[in-house]
Amino acid sequence: MLGWLLLIPLATAIAIIASPARLAKFVALGGSSLTFAISILAALRFDGWELSKPSMIYEFPDWMSNPHYGILQYLEVDSVSLLLVLLTALIVPLCVWGSFTAINTRVKEYYGWMMVLLAAMLGVFMARDLIFFYVCFELTLLPMYFLIAIYGGANRSKAAIKFFLFTFTGSIITLAGLIYIGWQFTVSTATPWTFDILKLTNFATDNEPGGLSNIQQAWILLALLCGFAVKIPLFPVHTWLPLAHTEAPTAGSVILAAVLLKLGTYGMYRFVLPMVPHAVIEYAPAIAVLCIIGILYAALICWVQTDIKKLIAYSSVSHLGFCILGLVALNPMGVQGSVLYMLNHGLSTGALFFLVGMIYERYHTRDMTKMSGLSRRMPVWAFFMVFFVLASVGLPGLNGFISEFLCLIGAFTATADAPDYPGVLGPWYAAFAGVGMIFAAMYLLIMVGKVVFGPLKEPAVSEDEHHGSKLPVDLSFREIAILTPLAVLCLYIGIRPAPITDALAASIEDSLRLYPEMVTDHVQFAEQRSVTDDKDVVLTLVPSGDQPASEDEQTVDEKGALIDG
Amino acid sequence: MSDALHITMLLGQAADSAHAWPIAQPTDGFKWAGWILYLPIISTILCGLCAALKVHNKLPAWITVGLLGGSFITTVALYMQYTEPVTIYLFEWFNLKWAGSEFVAAFSLYVDKLTLLWMLFVTGLGTLIALYASEYMESDVKRGYARFFAGVSIFIVAMSALVLGDNLVMLYLGWEGVGFASYWLIGYYYQKPSAVAAAKKAFIVNRIGDLGLALGLWLTYHYFGTIEYAGIFEQVQHITAGEAANLEAGGWYITAIPFLFMIGAFGKSAQLPLFVWLPDAMEGPTPVSALIHAATMVTAGVYLLARMFPLMELHPAALPTVAWIGGLTALLGATIGMAQYDFKRIWAYSTVSQLGYMFMGIGVLTTFGAAYHVFTHAFFKAVLFLTAGAVMHGFAGQLDLRKISGLAKMNGWKIVSWTMFIGCLCLAGIPGTSGYFSKDAILAEAFVTEGGGFKVLGWIAIITAGLTAYYTFRVWFRICTGPVHFEMGDEHHGDDDHGHNGHDDTHGHDQPHAPRLAINGVLIILAIGAVLAAVPNFMGNESEHVHGGWVGDMVAESSAAGGLPDHTKHGSILGIDPHSAMYVISALVGLIGIAIAWRLHMASRSTADNLRARLLGNPATRWLPTAMENKWYVDEVYHAVIRAPLWILGHTLYILDQFLLDRGIIDGIARIPRVIARMFQPLHNGVLQSYAVSMAGGVGLVTVLVIMLPQLREFLNGLFGGGG
Repeated sequence: MLGWLLLIPLATAIAIIASPARLAKFVALGGSSLTFAISILAALRFDGWELSKPSMIYEFPDWMSNPHYGILQYLEVDSVSLLLVLLTALIVPLCVWGSFTAINTRVKEYYGWMMVLLAAMLGVFMARDLIFFYVCFELTLLPMYFLIAIYGGANRSKAAIKFFLFTFTGSIITLAGLIYIGWQFTVSTATPWTFDILKLTNFATDNEPGGLSNIQQAWILLALLCGFAVKIPLFPVHTWLPLAHTEAPTAGSVILAAVLLKLGTYGMYRFVLPMVPHAVIEYAPAIAVLCIIGILYAALICWVQTDIKKLIAYSSVSHLGFCILGLVALNPMGVQGSVLYMLNHGLSTGALFFLVGMIYERYHTRDMTKMSGLSRRMPVWAFFMVFFVLASVGLPGLNGFISEFLCLIGAFTATADAPDYPGVLGPWYAAFAGVGMIFAAMYLLIMVGKVVFGPLKEPAVSEDEHHGSKLPVDLSFREIAILTPLAVLCLYIGIRPAPITDALAASIEDSLRLYPEMVTDHVQFAEQRSVTDDKDVVLTLVPSGDQPASEDEQTVDEKGALIDG
Repeated sequence: MSDALHITMLLGQAADSAHAWPIAQPTDGFKWAGWILYLPIISTILCGLCAALKVHNKLPAWITVGLLGGSFITTVALYMQYTEPVTIYLFEWFNLKWAGSEFVAAFSLYVDKLTLLWMLFVTGLGTLIALYASEYMESDVKRGYARFFAGVSIFIVAMSALVLGDNLVMLYLGWEGVGFASYWLIGYYYQKPSAVAAAKKAFIVNRIGDLGLALGLWLTYHYFGTIEYAGIFEQVQHITAGEAANLEAGGWYITAIPFLFMIGAFGKSAQLPLFVWLPDAMEGPTPVSALIHAATMVTAGVYLLARMFPLMELHPAALPTVAWIGGLTALLGATIGMAQYDFKRIWAYSTVSQLGYMFMGIGVLTTFGAAYHVFTHAFFKAVLFLTAGAVMHGFAGQLDLRKISGLAKMNGWKIVSWTMFIGCLCLAGIPGTSGYFSKDAILAEAFVTEGGGFKVLGWIAIITAGLTAYYTFRVWFRICTGPVHFEMGDEHHGDDDHGHNGHDDTHGHDQPHAPRLAINGVLIILAIGAVLAAVPNFMGNESEHVHGGWVGDMVAESSAAGGLPDHTKHGSILGIDPHSAMYVISALVGLIGIAIAWRLHMASRSTADNLRARLLGNPATRWLPTAMENKWYVDEVYHAVIRAPLWILGHTLYILDQFLLDRGIIDGIARIPRVIARMFQPLHNGVLQSYAVSMAGGVGLVTVLVIMLPQLREFLNGLFGGGG
């Protein structure tokens, strides 16, 4: 079943190349819809919804796999992966359908790349070995590069190159980090190399001597963050995003926001959290501070934008700050919120990009100062716009609220003395991040106030442009049909999140299982260390320099430092 | 006294005292109570369908009136069937469980008498005002009629969720939900920039309060491990010294809970410093102002503090803060109200001021007084707003006190004039009216309750009562008495775009048209309600230690019971029992206020203008009328202190983001390879030999690396392992 999810998009891509240009879009729609249907089928047949150890596995045929290095052995999904697979498989057909009128040149390439992108994104979520993961992770760049560079706006080539180089550079370092874990595995366990994620995770989290030392973990964390933080994107490595979003074609922006950014957050969840727990605990406050800066910083920038698309692009930076903040809360609430955030941000921000695209197709501008009061002209569009803005603002009853609220309460309760799941954040983190909720209302409602409401002002559109688009004044049936499933999901998740949170609970608890004890140790150790530090101050006053050094060594030994091969 | 001891004392009090209130227990019955919520939801959906299908008649209004009426009847039925507090589970929402803890917030109803009190007037007034709006909004039948009623319905849904919810998250749902409904309806005339701006402002200012509420909620969860009222109250009632010490050991945070809830309440109920959105909210259609911005939604803050009253006692300074903020807001609102000319705005500032009284009531430990004032105010303020609406409806949006007079003498305006008179009597607190009794309950208590400088506050409140009587009757004398004179407004129901070029504009713009059955009928019903709202005060109490008649009973069996007056220790006003004294003092003050209004605005209608001119003419007093007319420049201060700096910061950050971070640092890093490449460029000169040399060099380097590998690993291990 999982194998089909990769095969069908790729087969569709080939079929698109073989088919005549005017049929390309239908082939793409058919192929991606089929993929979505299979993902639904997979979800129905998936019996691991409430288990921590999922059972849906696809084993690669022998000729493909390399059991010696643990490469291409099998694909696997747990509930977190499956949720993101479903999101991806839903968004792409909608994007294909949404591009029917917008893309009129080099059609075959466009849909072909889109199908490759679909396969690569699904591959990332299903991969269970580092090499396949990394190949898919990087393979998403190439189609997106072409989507931006060929079909994008005026400044597209710069945007595409920046997008490619920026994220590529980051992920190369991530690769180095991942390979380092593999290397340490062979060195420490004296077994052959493996890239099997499960084995490496077990190894990395092994607290016994033989696992990774704190300092190794810190370096690996840094390496992994290089790739994932760029992808998410976290402040201050977000600068590729506004440009890429603004210049990408509508479908490109939608996929970028809805799925590609989630590769980073998913990477954080799948690799960072289980593989380098010591480092995560050590640096969670620092990451959280970056998130909070990102939330507020991007929100304030959103406030002064005049380009709607750029505004929504920056809002992604702000929103995903909440997502990572929840993740580093290291308790079930925060991580639940974070995983839900991946889904919800995909739905609501994806829809917002669709809506902006619909305006752009009609008026060929995204400048807020040139339009106003469009609800007079396009009431259906206005309805959807307000709806998804409210979802994005986090109005209770819609999906955004659930995840934002859980992320924040997760961060809030992540204090050292919390029962069950102590953490290293606390009320202040949530309080500062919470200011982002006010800012979100500010920039989004101001945008709505300018564009949707107010006296009617339409941008001037030249006659032939108007005729060229062949679009009705308000939304067409096709456009409504694209937005409706997203709206229904937003509402459904907002009112009944429990089925999803139930499904995620076991997986998430499993990936957090090491943390409570380690956080407790960490906190105690930090207290001890602060005591020792005081001693050090005294000791350094003594001329003999040996004493503090030996004590340092001792500390390292205590913590199960590196034993080398 | 240590804080831990303080907490034990305060929390333990509830259990010890005779006022220990019953906590709701789950029940399987009463599932039908869910229809209080479901009916308005159905109404919202049907109105939405009407909007989508472009139904151009009054169907949406009748759907709304019918279903909200059904909701009201269900509430009444629940009240009749009520015996003890219960929680009614409807369906699940948040349901997270792990290890030994959980985070559960279901769609579940907490029904006690406090809930019922609120729900009765929320659904009742909601129905009546929807009926009123069916006529008021009739000129919009072909435009936003369905959209308007969908908004009203969704407001009732959210307000019911806020009041009925059995946990703080559902309260939060309602809290933000009413904020959204308010946004939706204030911005109803969406083509009018001022309406859009007001809607936005309301939502954003409310969000500041919402953050406070959210933080309070999280903190409550953090310390109590639950956000369900029943769970929290259970712990509060049975707290032991040890547990209190444990709570306290968590740091100072727990004592922040009441202050955080306060921020939420002040935002929603338009108190200092977050009151600025409410006057602007008058851009919405008048029925909305009456329902949301006077009678129901703005009392949500009072409800929150009454509901969470046990937690309000966590810090000794919390309730005095509430009292003082309330008292000062009352004074501020009244002073601004005195100097405005738009009489709908006067009612808006009056609402701010009256809400201040309610908070003062909470603060001086009379949740009964607060709740009773909420109840009476809901009626008389609704009357006042709806009469203002009738005038707007009839005079094409005219609201200026200087441009209408003698209304009582005009044909067809008798009902409006005299119902307004009744409303004014109540607001001014004339003896015998409902407003008189409910306000006195609060004022007297300020002198009864010890501490916090409450006596000073009491006198401030008494002065405010005088000011209230003055500005109330200033409006009535100006509008309803004097020579018959009017100028039509230049707007049609505040919607300029529709008014001038509107198609079926049957009213014309020269002649006022008097209200008809729906408006007059609702005004009469509400005026009767406003008069009868005095009756509960005289109803007997079920148990002897409860005072305050029916409303007292309603409050006594709820979590707000802790705030019932303790009549064992009485303060005094000028040596007299406060309750007796207050009846006299407030009556006197009210009458003096009316007398001044009569002197300035009725007896000789130019006196007020002369007085104003004289004040403005004198440099020493010029600031007073100027500041009052300009609302004490609060908006301007906020703009200068908060909005402008943030806006500048936003632009600065954007510039930094583009130029420093992106083009400077990031592109700078991207340029490093190019710079390095230039360094090695001489190698790539196309001469075969030099390629050979560099290849040999490369091979050599790799060989050295391979040979050195053990040492290299040693080095790396040193770097990674011991380099910290």
